[in-house]
Amino acid sequence: MLVETAALAGEIMLVSGAEIYRVEDTIHHILSLAEGARGENIVLSTGIYLSLDDPEGEAITMVRRVPDRATNLNRIYLANEVSRELCARKLSVTEAYEELLRIREQIIYRPVFKQIGYVGTCVFFAVMFDGSFLDCMAVLLVGIVLAMALTLARRIHFNDFCAKVAASFFIGVTAMGLESTLLPQIQRDTVIVSAIMPLVPGVVFTTAIRDTLNGDYSAGVARMLEAVVTALAVAAGVGASMGVFRMLIGGDRL
Amino acid sequence: MIWMMMIRFLGAFGAVISLGLLLEVPKKYLLHAGTAGGIGWLVYQVVVLEVDSAPMAAFSASLMVALMSHIFARRLKAPVAVFLISGILPLVPGASIYRSVYYMIRDMRTLSDRYLIQTLQVAGAIALAIFFIDSLFRLGQVRGKRS
Repeated sequence: MLVETAALAGEIMLVSGAEIYRVEDTIHHILSLAEGARGENIVLSTGIYLSLDDPEGEAITMVRRVPDRATNLNRIYLANEVSRELCARKLSVTEAYEELLRIREQIIYRPVFKQIGYVGTCVFFAVMFDGSFLDCMAVLLVGIVLAMALTLARRIHFNDFCAKVAASFFIGVTAMGLESTLLPQIQRDTVIVSAIMPLVPGVVFTTAIRDTLNGDYSAGVARMLEAVVTALAVAAGVGASMGVFRMLIGGDRL
Repeated sequence: MIWMMMIRFLGAFGAVISLGLLLEVPKKYLLHAGTAGGIGWLVYQVVVLEVDSAPMAAFSASLMVALMSHIFARRLKAPVAVFLISGILPLVPGASIYRSVYYMIRDMRTLSDRYLIQTLQVAGAIALAIFFIDSLFRLGQVRGKRS
């Protein structure tokens, strides 16, 4: 039961994008609640291995595979809280386990807020990149397209890579469509770069370097590759949309 | 000038809050995260104007963000990551990693290399700054426990 709780806590934190050393630390703390037994754990960016070695009985070992990850700060926060309370003996193991199960399903913001989040991110990044008023309006439209594309992609169960390619393809098409029809004076580059900001893996890349600095080399390399693959998806989408436009209009100055 | 800075601050503030919705930052911490992000972006702008070096600017800005995150975390009894991850969002080299791969696909080697190196420098600078402040605070904790 204790091992299961530790595995669940670790799984939640890893899926939510916590740093590797933090996940290992949490699991270690929970496992050390078992008196007289020795707990060890190895966390990779795609899975968790942990075992509790009881001198009087058999060792318990557990492996958890973590297929996909999405940053979720709330779950990191809550899982951390539960493990701290568990270690301070304010919660029993069973209570902690049930609490963690609840946390795994918890979502604070309804889908509507998520859409607002996507659109808002695009527009505010355009403001940050010194876009003109018209740029921001264009990004607003492109952002709405992005939010719709992502929702649609999720509804038909696209995997992450394809969803990102599709979303950035639509970003490119909309941005260039606006430029060549309604708003010829927008800066296309600013519009596209602001619109892809919600998709782009900046945090993952930085976390990768932080993991590397902490000595978690395998996780660091894996995360860096994850960042590169995501960037590849986005760049492929935008590149494809430009190719399509060049074919349609012909001889554009790209 | 001040007017421009205000607009940029608001841009970063809004961007962090919107991304906060996507990253599920708990509601009660959204404003703090936004403030940390906005101030970090201001520091970045000022340093870029003074020394004209993106990694240096990212380093100073992340120092500021990391410091603020630790203070907020102490004050509000929340993990540092909540403020830290959302605070560095405006600084993080998302656009340049995209550009690097984009130019790689279009076979424009020089531009691709330039952006790749910029990505590495900026991400490294941010990671170093966070590492630095973390170690500093950990040092403080050890001292506190001993005395």
